[in-house]
Amino acid sequence: MDTTFSRRKFLRSASALIALPALEAFGGTPASPAASSAAGAAVANGPKNFVSIGSYLGWHQPAFFPKTAGRDYVMPDSLKPIEAHRDSFTVFSGLDHRAPNGHNAWSNFLCGNTPRSYSLDQQIADQISGKSRFASIELATGMGEGAKSMSFTRQGVGLPPIMRPSVLYRQLFTSKASRERTEYLIKSGQSSLDSVLDDAKHLQANLPKRDREKLDEFFDSFRSVEQKLERQLTALDQPAPEPSYKLPSYDPITPNLQMEAGSIMYDLMALALETGSTRVISLFLDGLGQVFAIDGEVLKAGYHALSHHGNDPEMIRDLIAIERAHMECFSGFLHQLSERKNPEGKSLLDDTVILLGTGMGDASRHSNANLPTLVAGGGFKHGKHIAIDAKAKDAPLLGDLYITLKQRLGVEADSFSNASRNLNHLFS
Amino acid sequence: MFCRGLRKHSKAAIIVFVFTGIAAQAAAASKSVIPDDVISILEERCINCHDAEDGKGGINLNHLEIDWNAKDAAKVWEKAYNAVAYHQMPPLNRKQLASDEKKALLGFLHEQLKQHTPIGGTLPRRLNQLEYQNSIQTVFQMKDFELPIGFPRDTREHGFDTVSEALVLSPPLLEAYHEVARQVADELFPPVKEKPPVTTWTAGIDDLVLSFSAATLHGDALRLASRSLDIMRSCTWPSKIEITASGKYRISVSTSAFRPKRGQVMKLEVRARDVAASDRSRANVFRLLKEIEVTSETPETVTFEAELYEGQTPLFRWVNAELDHEPEAFSALLEKHFKDQRFLAAWQEMLFPGNPRKRISVTPLRGRNGWDIFQRHYKNPDLNLTDATPDNRYTKAAINMAKNDGTARELGDTLTYYYHEKGPALQLHSVKVEGPFKLVDGPRDLQRRKYREWNFGIRKEGESDEAYADRGLRMYLPRLFRRPVDDKVRHSYLEIAKQHWAAGHSFDEGMHLLLRSTLVSPRFLYREINSGELDQFDLASRVAYFLTRDAPTSTIVIHARQGKLADPKVYRDTLESLLPRSPGSPMIRDFTEQWLDTRILPEIMPDEKFEFSPEEISVAKAEVEHFFFTLLHENRPLRDFIDPDFLTTSKRFAMEHYGYHIKGEKRINPNATYITEHRKIERLPIERGGIRGGLLGQSAILMATANGVDTQPVLRGVWVLENILGTPLPPVPSNVPALTPDTQGAKTPRDLLTAHTKSPDCRGCHQQIDPIGFVLENFDPVGGWRDEWPRINVAIDASGVLPDGTAIKSYPDLKRWIVENIDVFAQCLSEKLMIYATGRIPSYAEKQEIKQIVAKIQHDQGGFKDLMLALMESKTFRTR
Repeated sequence: MDTTFSRRKFLRSASALIALPALEAFGGTPASPAASSAAGAAVANGPKNFVSIGSYLGWHQPAFFPKTAGRDYVMPDSLKPIEAHRDSFTVFSGLDHRAPNGHNAWSNFLCGNTPRSYSLDQQIADQISGKSRFASIELATGMGEGAKSMSFTRQGVGLPPIMRPSVLYRQLFTSKASRERTEYLIKSGQSSLDSVLDDAKHLQANLPKRDREKLDEFFDSFRSVEQKLERQLTALDQPAPEPSYKLPSYDPITPNLQMEAGSIMYDLMALALETGSTRVISLFLDGLGQVFAIDGEVLKAGYHALSHHGNDPEMIRDLIAIERAHMECFSGFLHQLSERKNPEGKSLLDDTVILLGTGMGDASRHSNANLPTLVAGGGFKHGKHIAIDAKAKDAPLLGDLYITLKQRLGVEADSFSNASRNLNHLFS
Repeated sequence: MFCRGLRKHSKAAIIVFVFTGIAAQAAAASKSVIPDDVISILEERCINCHDAEDGKGGINLNHLEIDWNAKDAAKVWEKAYNAVAYHQMPPLNRKQLASDEKKALLGFLHEQLKQHTPIGGTLPRRLNQLEYQNSIQTVFQMKDFELPIGFPRDTREHGFDTVSEALVLSPPLLEAYHEVARQVADELFPPVKEKPPVTTWTAGIDDLVLSFSAATLHGDALRLASRSLDIMRSCTWPSKIEITASGKYRISVSTSAFRPKRGQVMKLEVRARDVAASDRSRANVFRLLKEIEVTSETPETVTFEAELYEGQTPLFRWVNAELDHEPEAFSALLEKHFKDQRFLAAWQEMLFPGNPRKRISVTPLRGRNGWDIFQRHYKNPDLNLTDATPDNRYTKAAINMAKNDGTARELGDTLTYYYHEKGPALQLHSVKVEGPFKLVDGPRDLQRRKYREWNFGIRKEGESDEAYADRGLRMYLPRLFRRPVDDKVRHSYLEIAKQHWAAGHSFDEGMHLLLRSTLVSPRFLYREINSGELDQFDLASRVAYFLTRDAPTSTIVIHARQGKLADPKVYRDTLESLLPRSPGSPMIRDFTEQWLDTRILPEIMPDEKFEFSPEEISVAKAEVEHFFFTLLHENRPLRDFIDPDFLTTSKRFAMEHYGYHIKGEKRINPNATYITEHRKIERLPIERGGIRGGLLGQSAILMATANGVDTQPVLRGVWVLENILGTPLPPVPSNVPALTPDTQGAKTPRDLLTAHTKSPDCRGCHQQIDPIGFVLENFDPVGGWRDEWPRINVAIDASGVLPDGTAIKSYPDLKRWIVENIDVFAQCLSEKLMIYATGRIPSYAEKQEIKQIVAKIQHDQGGFKDLMLALMESKTFRTR
C-alpha cells in the first residue's frame, strides 16, 4: 500500500506550481510579513518566521546523532533524506532541559524545565506576530492520544492543534462560502449593535459614577471590537489567496496516513509562511499504534510498539524506517522553503528558523535526557554536528540554544526556563 | 520639628478648602478631627517616617483631621490600625508605644473606622469564567457546552477570581463573548444544510487501517482475528472515508472465511465509528449497523442500507473470534494452546529465554516481533521440551502473565498472528459506501432541535413568526437576564429580528441574530447592577452564584418573583436548600482551590525522590474537598477545621503518608498504582491533638505551600498568617534578596533566616512569620513527616515563640494555640467566604459585623453551617 510516495510526489509538484503566483500576489499587501515587530530594528535582515516540529515518540538517538562531531560527519540513518540540505542545518546532541521523565512531561520540548508552561513558540509569537493574520498556527499529524498540545500560552493553556488539512486550508484560504458566511455574520451583527448599545446605555443611565465607569469597560470594548470587525470586513474584500493547491477528498487523519498528512501539512505550512498568513507554526508528530506500510512493506509493529524496541535490531530497523519517512516529508519542506525567494532574492528558508526535536530523549526507556535536536534555516552558519558533553561542569542546556533562536528572531531574551546563557558562539 | 511639619501642612490644606468652596463644604461633613492626645502619639511615634515627604509604604499620617472623602483614607487608616494592633509598627529598634498610648490610638481609630467605612461597595459584577460557562449550560440546557480553548482568563485579586474590581471586560473578552454567542446561536438556529450529490467511495484493503496487530494483509485479503472490545486491537475501518452529511447510505462489504472450523459461522459486526474518536475507544460505544454472517471461503459481497452520520465511517469487528485480549478469556485460550507441547516450549522460550532462564521485558515481544521469535523456536528441531509440562513453574508464570491485565493485551497482540497465519480468521476484501440517498437528522440535529424547543417552545399551528418569537422571548429573556424583563426591553430585542426579517432574511436567521445580540447584552454579562441593598433578584443571583456557582433557577427564582426572600424564614430555607450537596460540588471545589491554593497542585511536579504520583496528588486534593464538605454538611464546630477527630482520605493514602494504622490491613506496596479502590475517600477516626487531622496537616496544603522540591519556612509562615489567621501583612520590601538553601555548607534554614532578618525593619513581621514557618518544617514538600533537614541531616528545630508570647515546641502546639484562639481563624475564614461571595474586600465596618456573627456562633456553640447561613443573612452580604 505505497500510496504515500506517489501522493507526495504529486503534492510537491502541485505546490511548486503555485509558488510564484502566490508570492507575487502577496508581496505588497499589508498582510505580508513586512517587518512589523518592534524587534525588527535589532536584526533588520534577520529571519522572520519560526517553525517548530516535535515528534511524540522521539527520534532514535543512534540513528539521529552523527558518530563524529564537527563538519564532516557521516550522515546518520534517520537524517539521510535531508542529506541534500546538510549545509542548511545543524545537529545537536547532549542537550536537554533537565526536565522530568516520561510521556507526561513530553511538553518539555518547547516548555523547558517545567512542562506545560509558556512554550518557546508562543513566547516568540507574542513578540513577533504583529499584524499577521494568525498569531500562530498549531498543527498535528497522526492523531495519537487525542489533542495533545505542544504549544502553551503564557497562562499555561495548551493550544489544540489542527489535525485536518482541510480545516487549515479553509482557515488560510477561506472558501467563497465561508467568506460569505463570515461577512454575513459580521454585517448582521453590526446591524444589531445599536439596539444592544441603546439598551446598555439605558441600563447605565441611572447608576452612580463609579458604577458607570465600570460599565464603560463594556462600551470601550464594544467600540474596539467594532473597529476590529470593520478591519476584518475590509480584509474580506481583498482578494484571498486562491491557490490551485488541491487537497485530497478526505482528511488523512487516521494515524496510518500520518506521512500523507505530514506532506500536506508541510505544503500548507510553506504556503502560510509565504503568504505571510502567520509567522509562527508548530507541528506535532503524534504516535500510537498505527502500523505503517513504507515502500510497500508493512512494518513489523505499530509505531508505539516499535519505539519500545528493547534494542531488538529488527524493531529498530522498522522504527528508523518511520523516522526516515518523517524526514522525507521534512526534506520536502526544506526544499520548498529554499526554492521560494522574496523579491530581494532571499530564500524563505533563510527567513525561517526551524527547530526540529522532541520532548522525549529515548522512548524505549521513557527518558527525557539528551533530546535529539536539529536547527535548520534562519540564515545561521550550518553544516555541523555540535556534540555537547552533558556531564561537563556548567554544560549548556537546550534552553541556551532556545535563547539563541529567540535572539536571532529579534526577540530580546536572556533567559528561557532554567537556562540563562546562549549558544550564539556555536553558530559563528 | 515634627510638629512644625504637621502644622504647616494642615494650614495649607485649610487654605485649599476655603478656595474650593462648595465641594469642600459638602465634604467637610465627613471629616473627623483627630483629638490632641492621638495627634501627639502620631507625632512622636509615626510621622518621622509616615509624613507627606517620606511617606514610607505610601502612608501619610500627617493630618489634623481625617477626611473620609479623600481617596484611600479608609485604607490608609485601617493599615495604620493593623500595623499597630499586630505589633508590626513601630519598628523594633524604635521606641514602642506604651500600653495606654496604644489603647488611645487604637480606640480612636476603631470608633472612627466603624463609623466612616461603608457597608457595601461592590461594583457591577461581570460574570467570571466559571459563572459564565455554567450560566450558558444552565440557561440553554446545553450540559456539555464548554468555553473555547484560549478563552481569556480572569484575574485573581485578594486570592479570588470573583472580585468585581478585577473582573474587567477587555476587548479580547468581548470578542470571545461574540464567538460563544455565535456558537450557541448555531446550535439553536443552525444554518441551512444542502444535500450533497450521491457519491461512491471504495476502499480496498490498502485503504483499511492496520492498528497494532488487529489486522494484517495477505494477498487480496485483510485478516481479523480478535474479538477484543478495544477497537485498536481487533478492528479495522476505512482510512479515507468520512461521511460529511448525515443520511441514508448503501454499504457493501466483500468478505470470506479463512480456514473456518467445520460448520463455523463467523459473525462480522459493522458499527458506525466517529472518525475523530480515540483509537482507545471500546467498540460498544459505537452504534451497531449490521451483523453479517460469513461462512463462504470465497469472497462474497453483502450490501445493506444504513444511516451514517456526519463524521462517521463503518467499523468492522469479528465478534465471535476465538481470541480475546481480556485476561480471563486470553489465559484460558492460551492454556488450550499449551496442550501442544511444542507450542508451550516455544512460548516459554520466547518469554524466558536462555539457560538458566531469565524473564525479559514483554513489551518488545508484543505483536509480530514476538511471533517471529516464537516461530523460530517452534520450528527449531533442538527445541528444549523439558520444561514443557503443565506443572512447570515457567508454564505457571506464563499463564500468570496471561492473567495480568497489561501483559495479556501485549501477548494477545502476539498470539493474533497465530490466527492471521493459521486461521481461523475473517477476511475483508473491499468496502464500498454510496450515498447519501436521503438526508436524515443525525444525533446532533436532534439535539439541536431539543435545545431550540426547550428554549423557545414549539411553534403553535398558525402562529406568526413574530408571535412565536415573542412567546419564546417571554420565557427566554428572564432566564438569561436573571430578572423579569419589561415589555419595552423585550420589544427592543424582538425588533432586531423583525428588522432582519424585513430585510429579506429567514425566520431562523432573524432568531440567530436576535440570540447573538442578547448574549452580549450587559444584562446577561453583569450581575448586581444596582447599588445599595440588593433587590430580590440580585440577591437570588448572589446566593445562587455563591452556593452553586451557577445562575439562579427554580425555587429561588420563584421566591424572588414573589418577593418572599424578604421573609427571613423563607430566605433561610432557601439558603439551606442550595448548600453544596457533595464534596465535588462546584462551590466547594472552586472555593477551596482558591482559598487554600490547591488549584496549583496539578502543576506542581513533586521531586522524584518523594515518589508522589499524579493519582496521589488527586487523592490529596480530594481530601481537602471532602473535609470541607464534611464540616459544612455536619455543621461541625469551627475548631474541627484545625483539630478534628477524623481524617477524610483514602485508607491507602493515610497508611502510606500519614502513618495511619488500621488493624488487620496490610500496607500496599508504595510503588503499586493507585487503583480506584485506593483512591476511595473514607472517614477515618483519629485522636485529637496529633500531627494529622486538620487543614495544616493535610498533604495538599503542605504541598501547595511548597514547590515540590524543598520547603521555605517564610512562605508557609506567610501563607498561614494570610489564609488561616487572617493577619494582614505589609507588602514584602522590594530590596530583600530571596533566600536560597545552602547546599554546600552545613547551615540550617534557621541559621540562614536569622542572618537574613537581623535588621530590625524585618523583624517586626518575621517574628510573626518565622515561628509558624519553622513549626511546619517537619512537613516535607508533599506533606510527609521528617525529623531532619534534608541534605545537611541536622535535626529540625521547630520551636519558637508566637507574637503573644506563647512558646511552641512542635506542630501540635501550634494547633492547640489556634484552637484556643479559634475566633481568629473563624474570622479569617468568614472574611474569605465574604470576599468570594460579595466580590469585594470587607470594609472595617463590615469586618465588625462579621466579628459579631462569629462571636454569636461561638457563643451559641454553633457550627460551620450555622456560620455560613448567618453570613448570608448579614447586612454585608445583602448589600451590593
